[in-house]
Amino acid sequence: MQNQLAAMLQDAAREIAACNTSNDILNTKANYLGKKSLLNSLYSRMRELQPEERPAFGNLLNEARQKIETLLNERNNAIKEKSWQTSSRSLDYTMPGAPGIRGGYHPLTIVKREVDEVFLSMGFEIAEGPDIEDEFHNFDALNTPADHPSRNLADTFYLEGGKLLRTQTSTVQIRVMEAHKPPIRIISPGRCYRNDKPDPSHSPVFTQVEALVVDKGISMSDLKDTLQNFATIMFGSQVRSRIRPHFFPFTEPSAEMDISCVVCGGAGCRVCKQSGWLELGGAGMVDPNVFDAVGIDSELYTGFAFGLGIERIAMLKYNIPDMRILFENDLRMLSQFRGELQ
Amino acid sequence: MKIALSWLKDYIDLPESVEELSELLTFAGIEVEALTRLEALPQSVIAARVVSAEKVPKTDHLQLCRVDIGSYDYPEKAEDNTIQVICGAPNCHAGMMAVLALPGTKLAEMEIKVAKIRGVVSHGMLCSERELGISENHAGIIELPVATPIGADINEIYELPDAIFELEITPNRSDLLAYKGIARDLAAKLSREMKEPAEPKLPAPTGDLKIGLYNEEPQLCPRYTARVIQGVKIAESPMWLKLKLIKSGLRPINNVVDITNFVMYETGHPLHAFDYQLLASREEGTSHPDIVVRKAFPKEEILALDGKNYILDGDELVIADGKKASAIAGVMGSEYSGITFDTQSIVLESAAFYPGSVRKTSYKHKISTDSSYRFERHLSAEYAAEVSVRATELILQLAGGELAGELIDSYPQPERESYISVRPARFELLIGYALSDNEIKDYLQKLGFVYKGKGEHQKGLVESLPALNDRAEAHYYKVPAYRKDISREADVLEELARLSGYDKVPQITLPQQIMDRHAYYAKRKAMQHLVAWGAYETLNYSFSDPRQMQKLGFDPKTLPFMKLINPQSQVHSVMRVSLVPQLLDNLAYNLNHGARDIRLFEQGKVYLKTAEGHEEPTKLAAIFTGSQSATHWQSKPQAIDFYWLKGCFEALLAEYGISAEIKSFQSPYLVESESFAYYSGTGCIGTLGRIKPAVLAKWDIDSSSLKQEVWLLEAETDLLAELSRKRELKYQALSRFPAVSRDLSFLAPENISFKELKDAILALDSNLIQEVELFDEYRSKQIAEGFRSLSLHFVLQDQEKTLTDEAVEHLMVLVQKTLIEKYEIKMR
Repeated sequence: MQNQLAAMLQDAAREIAACNTSNDILNTKANYLGKKSLLNSLYSRMRELQPEERPAFGNLLNEARQKIETLLNERNNAIKEKSWQTSSRSLDYTMPGAPGIRGGYHPLTIVKREVDEVFLSMGFEIAEGPDIEDEFHNFDALNTPADHPSRNLADTFYLEGGKLLRTQTSTVQIRVMEAHKPPIRIISPGRCYRNDKPDPSHSPVFTQVEALVVDKGISMSDLKDTLQNFATIMFGSQVRSRIRPHFFPFTEPSAEMDISCVVCGGAGCRVCKQSGWLELGGAGMVDPNVFDAVGIDSELYTGFAFGLGIERIAMLKYNIPDMRILFENDLRMLSQFRGELQ
Repeated sequence: MKIALSWLKDYIDLPESVEELSELLTFAGIEVEALTRLEALPQSVIAARVVSAEKVPKTDHLQLCRVDIGSYDYPEKAEDNTIQVICGAPNCHAGMMAVLALPGTKLAEMEIKVAKIRGVVSHGMLCSERELGISENHAGIIELPVATPIGADINEIYELPDAIFELEITPNRSDLLAYKGIARDLAAKLSREMKEPAEPKLPAPTGDLKIGLYNEEPQLCPRYTARVIQGVKIAESPMWLKLKLIKSGLRPINNVVDITNFVMYETGHPLHAFDYQLLASREEGTSHPDIVVRKAFPKEEILALDGKNYILDGDELVIADGKKASAIAGVMGSEYSGITFDTQSIVLESAAFYPGSVRKTSYKHKISTDSSYRFERHLSAEYAAEVSVRATELILQLAGGELAGELIDSYPQPERESYISVRPARFELLIGYALSDNEIKDYLQKLGFVYKGKGEHQKGLVESLPALNDRAEAHYYKVPAYRKDISREADVLEELARLSGYDKVPQITLPQQIMDRHAYYAKRKAMQHLVAWGAYETLNYSFSDPRQMQKLGFDPKTLPFMKLINPQSQVHSVMRVSLVPQLLDNLAYNLNHGARDIRLFEQGKVYLKTAEGHEEPTKLAAIFTGSQSATHWQSKPQAIDFYWLKGCFEALLAEYGISAEIKSFQSPYLVESESFAYYSGTGCIGTLGRIKPAVLAKWDIDSSSLKQEVWLLEAETDLLAELSRKRELKYQALSRFPAVSRDLSFLAPENISFKELKDAILALDSNLIQEVELFDEYRSKQIAEGFRSLSLHFVLQDQEKTLTDEAVEHLMVLVQKTLIEKYEIKMR
């Protein structure tokens, strides 16, 4: 029986070495270790031996079994590794990868969204209102005299039935102050309309964001802080801001807001007309008459407001020379802003 | 820390209910993590005497007892007032006073009945503390003092009902790791006086024993006091003392050790007692033992009271006798010098240790004890002597003995006194409401602060404090030594706010909710979706040309235009009522500029005249033409078609969590059989379809030369926002059992829709059938006229068990049978 075992081991080693697939391994394993294998039959023939010989022979059988198992495993691993190697290919990594399908946002949406996020992060809420307004919200409540030129047909679009298209989103401030008590911290973004012919720097339809803060103890200092904060987040920490006296009917005192030129950094260039400053929008402390119109005690509360033009910011930020480009919706323009806003 | 209400009441009157106290503690900053009520026991639980106890034959631990219940009325009572009770506790023995729960007693976790144990009848149960709900101790039955009268009221003995508060003490408040500390905070919060134990009076020392003290580490041990008491009788503690410890979660050991624990829980200061006789002298031939406060020797070993042998590395502070370490300072004593029933004289230690050292040692050797826990949190050295006096008084009372010598006190560098200034106006500024000078004074004095006056320049006091504004308004206080957490005005303001109540802080600004956040973000979501599906956003003027609507196939006279009085031109003469014409403008523009794969959308307002005035709903429109994917060398582009658009729209609805039904729909500008609308509830929330070539022609788009279909999607953004407003997303538990997949292909009559088939299948077992997915539709000449081949992929899963092959087969057979019978499908 020992001889049989030795011969069997030799055969097994040879056959295992000849295996080329995992399937071959399984078959060979069945032949040498399975129920009908010689090894298995030798186990059952142990009882033919003298009892004292049995343990030694049993050990031999176990060793043989282990040896075959080891050979099988080694060969199986070798087969697997070989298949891994052959499955790797050389790639021309310069060929184009799969294109994404993603489209993109309009640059005005991108800028408006950024402005929204800046103010949301500063604790402001966003309030919206109708584009089609009445004279009260657009002019009267905002302390605009009845004979103020901005009420002219040449400046403001009117609709049949006495309504008009709002000329600024300050209308939303009035609506919010009518409905809510201070403290108020809102921005109101939205479309505004003025009877300007489209040209490089004008559009009859444009987008404005107005900010309004009303609380006890709000001063012009808060306006300055907020403006500088906004300018820093929007244009970078190198940008400076300033306010200078101006006139608006709904603020007292009123101001124009400037930021240092984002193109030349303040040295003077074509964009800032050599002044070093860019006009960003109007601002001021809410006029007591405006508070009176909406029933807020102007002795108790003060507030500031300012307005920004989204088109202007977009043009400055992305160096867009003509406002009309923004409303052409040319895919060659739109696709440049792909990925600008997530 | 666990504290028992009954013990707490020793230091302050508390008529409040348990719930009220729990609230009070939590809102004083002492959070009650758990509250355990110890209910009063029923009258059928009595003190009883075990008259005899004999082993029950053939059992290893059961004893058959005769228990004397005195005059208690019980039917099975014998002439001699005894009843038969079986007890398995190892400590049950004749002569003991035990607590017996008679049959019929309902305890927290069991009901006592007449029971037969190993064939022997037992009338009731002798109880352990755990069985009565008093503690976790279940090592044996309760052994009451022998003098307890039979029938005595157990509730009185155990001070029941009672409540155990488990308190979370913040790490800055070592003073709260004590009953008196808790009582002090409550006294301040409730503006009530504390009850102090009577001033201890110690007799003059009469004993002759002596001890030497060497404090070699005054940095690590700023104060060490030792007192020798000789001739003590170590015994079990009296019931009242044991009970206090048990309820606080401590295990009674013997009278001296129990007193050190009692005083630690009372005052917060750990104490330790050594067996005097077992301490060695430092010098040979000295007549008395010594205590040496020193660092451990490298590799010095100590067998501690927890039975473990610790090998010290030399950084640890130890309390040694003349030869070896007898305690790891502030952490644990040694086995060899501990108090046993043989102890005759003791050395009582009351000391202060440097917190960092104790923490390091405790961490390094992984031993945390009540003692180390307290020392780690910084205890003042100021109280070591008075705490020692308190413990000594109790030891003399309970263990007898006499004092040997005065207190030995090594306190080389007394702690610096600490002062603080408080400006009442700062309280209002920081907290939001005002407290009067007197209120502040009252709170702080109750906490143990000593008032020193207002605004006065007190020498050595103001200079030590940081320079503050409004110095003239400041009030000065001496900080009690146990409040190591108070070093600045801000700390005091916190104390005041905590005690007068955070609930008094006024809420001045109410939330505004001006913004409709849901609507705002819902609008963003629609845009985000279309961008993800490859579309570019366009923005067009809000004005429009009424003739544009005519080109779409509408009669402008019927449309609700808002007309401008002063338009710039006819092209901009009305407010837009639809986003579609301008999107067609954008499409034509981009086709003219050479683009072929075009996906554009706009989300914006339209303006509609109504009977009341006008409306400005926000709408979404998107236009698509060209291939589904960008060109790439690997893939053959497929043109955008109905199913692509349907997928786009339904994915949008899925993002909002809106379910809707698709129906065919008619529009003047969409191809009749290829336009559909989605309805959710009563409203149409969107439409999709192919734009009529005739309409495209009005925009100069020649379909015959373009050879591309143009598809349009429109949605009511405002409705999407409203319908998704109440969406509640809830996590669904995952099935722990594997899912099984099966595929099924068959021929279905053309007039039966996929939805009909799918609904019929799901109706068979909607729990088991998780998904029915169409993965192929196929028509060919081999397939009979009027039929199409459909292939479905099933995912089956049970939430409660693993699906068997039989169950799966049964279901699949049922699916086939149903489809064959109901829809006349043919299996392939």
